Amino acid sequence: MHSLNRRVFLGTAAAALSAPAILKAQSDAIKLGSLTPLTGVGGTYGPSMRDAISGVIAQVNEAGGVLGREITLVSEDTQTSPEAAVRAARKLIDVDGVSAIMGTWASSITTAVAPLAWESQTMLLCVSGADSITQLPHQGFICRTQPNSKLQIRVAGDFMVEEGATQMAWIGPQTPFAASSIEILEEIAAANGAGMESLIYEADKSTYRSEVDQILVNNPDFLMLGGYAADSTVLLRDIWQSGYEGKIIGPAYAVNQTVLDALPPEVTENVFTWEGAPAIDSGAYANVQAILGVEDVDPYSAQTYDHASLAILAMAAGGDVTGDTIRQNIRAVSQGEGQMVESAVDGLAGLEGGINYSGASGPCDFDEIGDITGTSFVFKQISGAAAAEFKRV
Amino acid sequence: MLSYLLATLTFAGVYALLALGLNVIWGMAGMINLGLAGFFALGAYASALATVALGLPIALGIVIAIAAAALAGALLSRLTLNLRGDYLAIVTLGFGEVIRLIAANEIWLTNGSDGIPGIPGPFRGALTPLQFNALSCGLLLLAVALAWFLTERLRRSPYGRALRAIRDDETAAAVAGKPVRLYKVQAFAIGAGLLGLAGAAYAHFTSYVAPDIFRPLLTIYIFLALTAGGTGNTSGAVLGAFLVIVILEGSRFIEPMFHGMSGAQGAALREIIIGSVLIFVMRIRPEGLLAERPPKPVEP
Amino acid sequence: MELLPQLLVNGIISGTLLAIPAIGFTAIFAVLRFPNFSVASHATIGAFAGYAANVWLGLPAAPALIAAFLVAALVGLASDEIALKPLRPYGALTAAIASIALTIVLENMVRFGFGNELRGYDLPLVRDWRIAGVRVGPQQVQNLVLALIIMAAVFAALKFTRIGKAMRAVADNPTLAELKGIDPVRVGRLTVFIAMGLVGAGGMLLGLGTSIDPLTGFRFILPIFAAAVVGGLGSIPGAALGAMVVGIGEELSVLVLSPSYKSAVGFVAIVLVLAFRPRGLLGERAY
Repeated sequence: MHSLNRRVFLGTAAAALSAPAILKAQSDAIKLGSLTPLTGVGGTYGPSMRDAISGVIAQVNEAGGVLGREITLVSEDTQTSPEAAVRAARKLIDVDGVSAIMGTWASSITTAVAPLAWESQTMLLCVSGADSITQLPHQGFICRTQPNSKLQIRVAGDFMVEEGATQMAWIGPQTPFAASSIEILEEIAAANGAGMESLIYEADKSTYRSEVDQILVNNPDFLMLGGYAADSTVLLRDIWQSGYEGKIIGPAYAVNQTVLDALPPEVTENVFTWEGAPAIDSGAYANVQAILGVEDVDPYSAQTYDHASLAILAMAAGGDVTGDTIRQNIRAVSQGEGQMVESAVDGLAGLEGGINYSGASGPCDFDEIGDITGTSFVFKQISGAAAAEFKRV
Repeated sequence: MLSYLLATLTFAGVYALLALGLNVIWGMAGMINLGLAGFFALGAYASALATVALGLPIALGIVIAIAAAALAGALLSRLTLNLRGDYLAIVTLGFGEVIRLIAANEIWLTNGSDGIPGIPGPFRGALTPLQFNALSCGLLLLAVALAWFLTERLRRSPYGRALRAIRDDETAAAVAGKPVRLYKVQAFAIGAGLLGLAGAAYAHFTSYVAPDIFRPLLTIYIFLALTAGGTGNTSGAVLGAFLVIVILEGSRFIEPMFHGMSGAQGAALREIIIGSVLIFVMRIRPEGLLAERPPKPVEP
Repeated sequence: MELLPQLLVNGIISGTLLAIPAIGFTAIFAVLRFPNFSVASHATIGAFAGYAANVWLGLPAAPALIAAFLVAALVGLASDEIALKPLRPYGALTAAIASIALTIVLENMVRFGFGNELRGYDLPLVRDWRIAGVRVGPQQVQNLVLALIIMAAVFAALKFTRIGKAMRAVADNPTLAELKGIDPVRVGRLTVFIAMGLVGAGGMLLGLGTSIDPLTGFRFILPIFAAAVVGGLGSIPGAALGAMVVGIGEELSVLVLSPSYKSAVGFVAIVLVLAFRPRGLLGERAY
């Protein structure tokens, strides 16, 4: 690891710069990696996702660490670019030797990092929803806490019909799940005798007035938003200004508290959101609220809290600190027989008798390909710029 | 650690191929190409589709990638021959964005924003990650050496001198009887071919292509690389590419030295360092680390 | 098609807003002869300065706009002196590339100070008016009026003030201007100050209709560049006209192609314009 001839590769400046990192790598702290978007279009999500992970690690360290060792968080930025994310992941895996990479956002980034993870036996815990991700040949090294997009859309589509939609519409940017979202909504609309329109726009524009005009041509009464926070802010405003009186639903990660804070309250009044649901009054959710110091936790941050908790508990359960240990033991702690726990610290204390981790984003049970199962969903409605629970399914 | 250095060196190799390609188009022939990412994407997708969808061998995929990018380069430069530099800039920039939009929207061909995973790499299944990185690194450095040798020969040849003459004064070169239009199209195609090669190399090394990879950020890095290294200087292009990778990667190790910063602040600091170092390098060596030295005075 | 008048109105509004930063961009090109891509970060800086004035100090839109202008103008002047001016003698492209590195630095300084959160201005939002079936927002009308006032001021300044005449003289022929006793360095500084101020004000106007974050300016750099090129790089009326072409062209494109190809249509329009007028619609005379 630190023989001289290998140093030679470093060349000039990098040698001096990376020396502290090499020293740290020799200490016996356990390393976990956070790889979230801190700059670029995903930048609204990444910082708080990282903070949730770092909060879990701080709590565990305070309670004495895991396997008698301290945990260090190594954080890198994906720059919301698969190319930059791959370089960052190489550094996390090869230099820091992390046993898990947590928090990859955007399906293209997770897919780009995935082969590195399974080839080097590092666990990859992601928040990406594209159906293709868990179908990669990952040998168990990928688990995701985001319900796959088809399931999410089906649940929301049924909700729209139940709430009286007769003319549905979907508007969103081009993403891995745009086409399948539209397809599923068309199916649901057809089965219920409702109409359905869709429009795929180009992301990162500053106004969508003409797109809104176009989607409203056939007078829909229930609109679904398919984008992320930045474009949903623009879209919600344009929709409100157009005088649209029907209902709107958007994923909770797209209509999150930042969006509510950035917009005048009347724009978001009565908008529905939905997300995978934690147990009612879950201690995990309260814990994330305390860690981040916010009332309304972003779904992605709730998920990365679960990533960190699960990785730590799986290492403790397997008695080792490798990515392979996490892979082999994650299901034993996420859906094991025994006491239900909601934080890594409680889980470590109760590990002997068997535990079943239930997290801030839901029960966190995984099937054999790493998809989350048994998720229930919570629908919320916005009132006065705050989301209030409306219904669970 | 070694694996990381090998992978980083491989990425530096990809950047160097891009910088060498740009150096032919811009450094030697004086045509601006802000659509780098588009040609890079064409090469990456061509080779990915050839090997994954058609099952062709990797070597053939790479040849197809070079040909596709070179052809696109020839067509684009043929269509824009009458445009002056700044206008060529916007057209090529548009070309890059259009390619990315096509990659994201034409799902039947490119698998859309899901991208194409599982692109084969040479002996990837049979090697450990470290061995694979070593092999990739070796192959990439070999490709860079070859590209360096060929473009350097090009630069020193009478053809290279003619290109420089066209770059410096197109009218004078035309008066001197140089086939200006043909030479410009040829130079653009040669450079674009190198960009396509870089794309194919990237695809086979990382095993995945997706539209998000080809955002303008990469184009910015390569332009910075060539400008910092020395526009028009073949060795400067390679040196600049390695310098940019050293700055990009080296800056990772500075951030942990500062405590008490939020995630966004740490990442912002890293990019401030990247940008400032590049400006600093340009300030102390405005003509690049290795300034262009024409091999001989231009003959009449 | 009934959508057409509505799309035209949308296009005119976005074109007018785009015109302000495009004029700034092209003015720098006219006098200093290089494309300054750091307009992206200066638009962001203006938007955040306006946000600070509006939300933190409670100022209404018009005074906040002046704050946006001043802060962006000062940052523009300072960063130009430090990073770009020394590089200009080495060619337009060296300076252009350095301006991209400068954008990275400035954008991340904003990120360092403000974080990545989306922020909205503290302005009352009113639903659109409907006039003969076409909807238009009161706030957009206000932005439109502000943009038109700014443009009128720019044109009047160029035409009637000594500074304006000096700028035009340098843009037309720097050597001749110097012979006539005009100090090109001073004119350059003034140009950067005013142009970056315009870019900052434009960034805030563009941000008023949406929400802002450190990437705000970056989202506009392609249309700004495109507008300046279509109109004829260095031509200030051209930039205004080009902004209209790009704004209307992008909105109307919804009729022809999927909106997911919006900017592609914009680029095709640019190529068509350049095919017939290789130096842009109004050529390259500054005024």
